[in-house]
Amino acid sequence: MRHRPSLVITAVVALTLALVAGGSHGQSLSGEYKIGVLEPLTGNLAVQGKLHLEGYEIMRDLINSRFGGVMGKKLVLAVGDGPDPTTVASEATRLATREGVKIITGTFSSRLCGAASEVAARHNVIYWESSCVDPRFNKRGLKHVYRTEIDASGFGWYNVEFIAKHLAPRLNLKPNQLKIAFLSEDSSYGQGVTESARQRAKQEFGMQELMLEYYNWTTLNDMTPTILKMKQLNPDVVHHIGFGNDAVLFWRQSKEQNFLFKALVHAGATGYGGGDFGKALGNDANGVFALLEPGPGFRLEALRPEGQQIEKAFREAVQKRTGTYPFGAHQLAGSGLWLLKLVLDRSKSDDPEKFNAAVMALDMPVGSMINGWGVKFSEVGQNANDRVQHYMLQWQNGQLVTVWPEEFTTLRAKWIPLGAWDQRK
Amino acid sequence: MDSARRLGPAQIDVLAQLAVATVLLGGIYALIAVGLTLIFGIMRVVNFAHGEFLMLGMYLAFWAFALYAVDPYVVVLVSIPVFFVVGLVAYVLVMRGVIQASHNVQIFTTVGLSVVLQNVALVAWSGDFRFVRPWHLSTVIRAGATIFNLTQVVAFLIAVALTIALVAFMKWTHAGRVMRATAQDRDAATLMGIDTDRVYRLTFAIGIAAVGAAGVLVAPLYSVYPTAGLQFVLISYVVVVLGGLGDMFGAMLGSFIVALVEVAGSYLFGTAWKEIFYFILFILVLVFRPVGLFGQRGAETLGV
Amino acid sequence: MIARLRSRPGAVALFGLAALTPLVVRDAYFLDSLVLILLWGALSAAWNVAGGYAGQVSIGHASFFGIGAYAAALMVTRFGQGPWLGMLAGVVLSLGAGFIIGFLSNRLKGPYFALSTIAFAQVLLIGVSRWRGFTAGGEGIPVPFRPGFATLGLGHVGWVYMALAAALLCYGVEVYLERSRIGYRLAGVREDEDAAEALGIPTRRLKVFAVALSAALTSVCGSLWAQYIGFVDPTYVFSVDLSVRFALNAIIGGMGTALGPYLGSILITSLETYLRATFSGVKTGFAGIYLIIYGTALIVVVRFAPGGLAGVASRLRARRAQA
Repeated sequence: MRHRPSLVITAVVALTLALVAGGSHGQSLSGEYKIGVLEPLTGNLAVQGKLHLEGYEIMRDLINSRFGGVMGKKLVLAVGDGPDPTTVASEATRLATREGVKIITGTFSSRLCGAASEVAARHNVIYWESSCVDPRFNKRGLKHVYRTEIDASGFGWYNVEFIAKHLAPRLNLKPNQLKIAFLSEDSSYGQGVTESARQRAKQEFGMQELMLEYYNWTTLNDMTPTILKMKQLNPDVVHHIGFGNDAVLFWRQSKEQNFLFKALVHAGATGYGGGDFGKALGNDANGVFALLEPGPGFRLEALRPEGQQIEKAFREAVQKRTGTYPFGAHQLAGSGLWLLKLVLDRSKSDDPEKFNAAVMALDMPVGSMINGWGVKFSEVGQNANDRVQHYMLQWQNGQLVTVWPEEFTTLRAKWIPLGAWDQRK
Repeated sequence: MDSARRLGPAQIDVLAQLAVATVLLGGIYALIAVGLTLIFGIMRVVNFAHGEFLMLGMYLAFWAFALYAVDPYVVVLVSIPVFFVVGLVAYVLVMRGVIQASHNVQIFTTVGLSVVLQNVALVAWSGDFRFVRPWHLSTVIRAGATIFNLTQVVAFLIAVALTIALVAFMKWTHAGRVMRATAQDRDAATLMGIDTDRVYRLTFAIGIAAVGAAGVLVAPLYSVYPTAGLQFVLISYVVVVLGGLGDMFGAMLGSFIVALVEVAGSYLFGTAWKEIFYFILFILVLVFRPVGLFGQRGAETLGV
Repeated sequence: MIARLRSRPGAVALFGLAALTPLVVRDAYFLDSLVLILLWGALSAAWNVAGGYAGQVSIGHASFFGIGAYAAALMVTRFGQGPWLGMLAGVVLSLGAGFIIGFLSNRLKGPYFALSTIAFAQVLLIGVSRWRGFTAGGEGIPVPFRPGFATLGLGHVGWVYMALAAALLCYGVEVYLERSRIGYRLAGVREDEDAAEALGIPTRRLKVFAVALSAALTSVCGSLWAQYIGFVDPTYVFSVDLSVRFALNAIIGGMGTALGPYLGSILITSLETYLRATFSGVKTGFAGIYLIIYGTALIVVVRFAPGGLAGVASRLRARRAQA
């Protein structure tokens, strides 16, 4: 096959132009400080990715308008779209080189944070993860990689804490008398949380595990077989990590099959923890528990003054822009960015060593920050489980409200045990 | 699990419910696949965008419900002409040029169409999960201990009706006979004076109308989002292959077989394995009986 | 050898430019894009061996890509060996998988074959996602970066040359198929299988050979990819999107031509990169725009220029010759 050289050269020229022209923004203006934000804005994870980006944007505006920017300069975000590992790595490279950022934050999903942080490390760029829960994230020996949110094991830990310390007594059962069934979507997130919950439930509390089942949420069309199995096993608590449609399907079909159990516990801002769940089921959603950042009912007074200030300001800003109470995604992004500001204001530099020193120096008790969080990073850059306070929320009449820990909220958990399906008013 | 296996009244109830789940799930699959069977059968074209037309039907139901509070069962009547036109447009713009082309071209044209439709939906309507919640969504019919979800029952009945209607159409109307002739031998049909372009146009339009209506009907049962079609498109293909090239009743039976494999597989081995089961079934059928369980031997190479 | 090079000016220009670029350009993003262009090009060329040269169009080549990626990642993380050994393991496994798919290609035609390849990739995806004990299931495998050639821990420049090597390997195989007897026979199988069979060509064996070869090459690239990106996620490496991408570049560039896949990769990868970089940050509502353009381009090219870019080139050449 002969190919006209001119055609090839044309193609190459097109390539060169495209790449040279594409996004060559270089360094930011003086008076501005730019960081990179990587989120999945297309693809399967786009819904959460965009919410996270929204959270970053709201917090950025808040920081710039009321809290003096970052290191005295206006905070600017350079955004990259990372729907899959290859693209997120590529975009991370772009942010680090073309955009010249020294700090990259993001990326919501465990599928993405591994690849993105690798790239950041190779370019000596600080990687500031605000959401992904892969437990191995901090254990790869990469330098300058930090995570403000707890990992999957933390979620499992909190869930079991709630079940053992709050649910069990109200059900008049000892934790080791509790029968628990585990159901989960099979992504990195679902597997991570479920496995850590299983472990703690069994090893620390001796709960009886009746069933463990994983499924692929994108191809799940009918939960009836699983529900029929579970009905026969008769669990007290169903620990179900859902992503989207699957949560609605399980709940709706459980009601149809009149599958009765005492409580359902989930963790995270997807599935049962997403606004869509309430929209899909209205008051039928009543009773479901989801581990999340704080929602309505949260007692600002339970926070320390500095925590109250930022929490209140953030809630107002989110309400103003979206008309709703902050979603989990907003809160994770917002808290990640706020923490970053605290570190940068302290280090006054993005030099990785100075940054690291400032990060390690942070030590705030629970209630000091947005979401009621405290801060204490481990040597490998992981914020501690017991500082990153998580809360159990419950669907009550169309809203996800905060019910636990009780000292943090004015509201209380209802319908323990759940009782008959049409009795939950 | 042992106590669950012994056959007592509780277990019979479970079996009954599983049987109902199989039939109703099969009905949904049949509904979604019937349009594909027609298109695949007559035009021998693999339409990878089939799931996206389903998704568009779901969005039609959603927007009609959200904006005008119109019940999906009313919308479905509107959806048939709407998607008939959509099918015509899609055919003229995209499919016409590729009928005569090689398989690769067909495959990738429809793959491209699939990507375009998914992302047009994403850009226009965002990726949020939407829900259609008509008052009758949770209505169930109870027969003893067995429960039938009304929406699923309606979908099943319509699937059956649609299949019968299409079979009747193909068998007893002139247009249907013309379509079958074209499917058997395109060149001979042309020689007989049949305007094959018109045949394909009609076929495609009917097929898309069927899947669009299916989308409206299943919208209350599942979330509506831009990639919702992916949930069903592969299953639709398994159904079509199982049933045999263009064989409507075969596709219907194929749907029930797939549903059976799914439900039984989920119950006995866990949901994790159900897809493996029907994919393996798919591959086995393709290898050992590519005409499908109900097709005629040799049909798979006809016109392919 | 010079004569051979002279007979393929396009390839010389392209690969030559790729080889020279790292000496001139320091921009890491440009180099990263170049690595991806070469790698996707190599993968498309590998696909082309089965799809373009042997006429067996598969939309399941991600199966082999994933096998290669996992083999490399697991060899390093689970067995403590180097990724090169993993690549070898991946090739062996992919040859096995390739034989299975090849067997299927003998039983199935056209769309049926394509569907079976999709099903095969799905089965692998699900199996790997569930096999938590060995593959870490849905959580995927982070691949450690250890500097050095043996561990494939290279810098951007190193990766350009590594990707170039893979691209040349696949290109070389394509060229070999064009010029050798096996290649001529394969062309016969592609154009008219019954006629070829009548001529005494062992069509069945040849098809299996082509698919297995294609699988092995894809696997090699998959292993490289795993080390380059550093994270192997089952829902990505076995995805239909990836399979489509491999075929896409080859089709747009010109199926059945040696340089076609690379031309296609240049066009598509640059287009995608450019659109994403331009539109991502502007307004998140438009984040899907580049995919719409991408899909439309596919339809248009496939419909109006089925020979791809190479076909356009030939036609222009013919028209020039006539004028």
